Amino acid sequence: MYEYRLRFSKEKSLKFLSHLELIRTMERAFRRAQLPLAYSEGFHPHPKLSFGPALAVGICSNDEYLDFQLLKDIEPEEIKMDLNRSLPEGIQAIAIVRINTQHHVKPLNAIINRAIYAIHLKTTPEECSKVIEWLNQLMNLPEFVITRYSKDGQKLVNIRPWLHNLTIEVIDAQKFILELRFTGEIGSGGNLRPEDITSNIPHPVEIMSVARISLWHEEKGLITRPLDLC
Amino acid sequence: MAAKQSQHVWEDIESSLNEVSKPGRYIGGEYNCKVKDWTTTDFKAVLAFPDVYEIGLSHLGLRILYELINSQPDMLAERVYAPWPDFQALLHKKDLPLFSLENKRGLYEFDMVGFSLQYELSYTNVLTILDLGKIPVLSKDRTEADPLIIGGGPCTYNPEPLADFFDCFFIGEAEEVMVDICKIICNWKCSGLSRSNLLDELAKIPGVYIPSHFQIHYQADGTISEIKNLAGPEPVRAVVKDFKTVFYPEKWLVPYLDIVHDRITFEIQRGCTRGCRFCQAGMIYRPVREKPPEVVMNALQNLVKDTGYDELSLTSLSSADYSHIQQLISQACACFNPLGVNISLPSLRIDSFSVDLASKFQSARKSSLTFAPEAGSDRLRCVINKGVTAADLLNASEAAFKAGWQKLKLYFMIGLPTETEEDLAGIVEMVESVFKIGKKIHPKASALRITASISTFVPKSHTPFQWQDQISIEETIKKQRYFQEHLRGRHIELSWHDPQMSRLEGIFARGDRRLGSIIYQAWQKGAQFDGWSDQLNYPLWMEVFAASNLDPDFYIRKRSMNEILPWAHIHSGISQDFLKKEWERALAAVLTPDCRNAVCSNCGVCSTLDIKKSIAGEFDV
Repeated sequence: MYEYRLRFSKEKSLKFLSHLELIRTMERAFRRAQLPLAYSEGFHPHPKLSFGPALAVGICSNDEYLDFQLLKDIEPEEIKMDLNRSLPEGIQAIAIVRINTQHHVKPLNAIINRAIYAIHLKTTPEECSKVIEWLNQLMNLPEFVITRYSKDGQKLVNIRPWLHNLTIEVIDAQKFILELRFTGEIGSGGNLRPEDITSNIPHPVEIMSVARISLWHEEKGLITRPLDLC
Repeated sequence: MAAKQSQHVWEDIESSLNEVSKPGRYIGGEYNCKVKDWTTTDFKAVLAFPDVYEIGLSHLGLRILYELINSQPDMLAERVYAPWPDFQALLHKKDLPLFSLENKRGLYEFDMVGFSLQYELSYTNVLTILDLGKIPVLSKDRTEADPLIIGGGPCTYNPEPLADFFDCFFIGEAEEVMVDICKIICNWKCSGLSRSNLLDELAKIPGVYIPSHFQIHYQADGTISEIKNLAGPEPVRAVVKDFKTVFYPEKWLVPYLDIVHDRITFEIQRGCTRGCRFCQAGMIYRPVREKPPEVVMNALQNLVKDTGYDELSLTSLSSADYSHIQQLISQACACFNPLGVNISLPSLRIDSFSVDLASKFQSARKSSLTFAPEAGSDRLRCVINKGVTAADLLNASEAAFKAGWQKLKLYFMIGLPTETEEDLAGIVEMVESVFKIGKKIHPKASALRITASISTFVPKSHTPFQWQDQISIEETIKKQRYFQEHLRGRHIELSWHDPQMSRLEGIFARGDRRLGSIIYQAWQKGAQFDGWSDQLNYPLWMEVFAASNLDPDFYIRKRSMNEILPWAHIHSGISQDFLKKEWERALAAVLTPDCRNAVCSNCGVCSTLDIKKSIAGEFDV
């Protein structure tokens, strides 16, 4: 078996695909590219695809990851070219590396624990400075408890331990558009979602776009990228 | 023609699309989606399906027309499906028109909107699509600046309830004339002539029906006294003469969403000559025409390679009847199974031949097998011309259980002509007998399951049962209750159709033009997605009827043989004599043989439409 790690983008209107729809799209792209995916055993064989942390519907990203296994030894560059010919516009293979099967390479979901999001917010002349001020004070709070709603009801969560960094920048002073960037915990250690912050801003803001711009592994201040952990 | 402001709606809606359920329904951009240049393409059509994306994109007919129109260099075809109420609200909030999935243009910007009319309970969605697309809902309100609204599909065999909303209908198979229709509209656009000139031109195309060219007069009792022809001939169904070489998509849209039929569909045969008397499809797609196996295999090889699909369906009204079916299945399995592609057949006959076929390409372990005995006694099955016996069903079930299947689905109908209590008891008996056989062969199987799906018979136009009355809601419920009481047990599952929906379906299936105002008012009051049990508002429909002078029961009543039926001027090619004779034979419980191999039953299709049945083995003769 030949194992690979793919970094890909999910952008433009394909940001509206659900995770399940993304999986199906990837499977079909591999089949169109005639790249022979390895399948699981059993009565319901499915291709051995293992994705990184799912991206919420409506968020674009150019730093998504997927581990896959092929039955044939094909050069990563060749796979990338074949895939890009078969993928729909909006999803693109950016880089592929081999996974060293001699070493114990951990799955994506076990290693990725940080995500950076970039959010464009539109404010008003009156509220702009208040929004900036409110966002900037978040890092100084000892705790920040928010309400999360799910189909089972609501629950209170302190998200402050998951917020590792936050910056804010005015990117269009005429239209009062801000860019909020934050580094949050993702994975088994906690999960900071963009709406945890944006829906709690106590001033009217319009969310223009949300992007996940990076995923990585951080341990004791040391940062490693998923492609470097193969 | 007034110059129109083109509007780019996508930028305005993108940031809010997250607020709706399944935003993937509205993004387009599927693999093999065709986005042609808007400004340099002369003729622009949008193909509309009046139900959600997942159902609409599963429909074969619109896929064929999409590729056919787009194969013309100076034409484009785009798509639109009925938007869910949450997306409708978003369009209203942003004051944006409903737009096509390809170039994201408001529907009013197109030259033609073509609706596929598959199901009576999607009619209100047609109005929603037009209205949100900023097109006047009523044909009489449209001007030269509006697109031409045309409808096709099985509902056009009685399109009268929709006559107020459509400029024209197309009756029959469009592959050989669709491009001509588009050319006429395209030429008219630059001519400066009136809309009625365009309709006159279109009426010359075979299959085109212009409702405004006919005037309907009624008698005091509500029946029709005269269908007055104001211009041109009465419409006759268009039919594909050379099915062997007829256009078929070489490209196949691959959706992101999990659509209802998420696979490659290849039509191996058109028409069915079994002659089941309740079945409209069996009448309006005659005669039977097969595609040669080598044509099927060549096309499939390209489609499999191009789509990345892992399932393909060899579709037709009765695929097991295809003359080279065994050879075709063997070839397809040998060619595609190694690539991880599964083969499926949509319709099986009740015999061990079909079970053998199914076991070639289906794993008995995971799937269920479906048989459609339709009725509970040999006598009633003779009435409906479904020439299978209880013994056939038991033999086929036994073969299926022996081949490893543990789940069987059985389809039945209630409310068929001449039905008695014995026929209902017969259904119970059949289901139980099948279960007993299953129990004998799989004594320990906890997965053993017999599903009895019992629907209400809705008489349709252009069938021998078009004169028959439809059972009332009360009677339906009474019969459904009978099955609830008698079909019990852990291994038996029962399902049925919503009786209110069946009644509405029946009203519109055999309705006349006066129902247009009922549809319009119900829609104005909020009726839409009437085929969705969580959306149907039946009391609203009844309120609208109550406020009108029309009685819903009038439309599902028994018709007199000499009454002028609302669809009398629409010709399917089947002769009235044949339908009447079949009705008499039904009452006498006499079978009419399949004309595929036996003698001609003189239905009239071949002579009226100047066409011949074509069976694959006979091509080279």
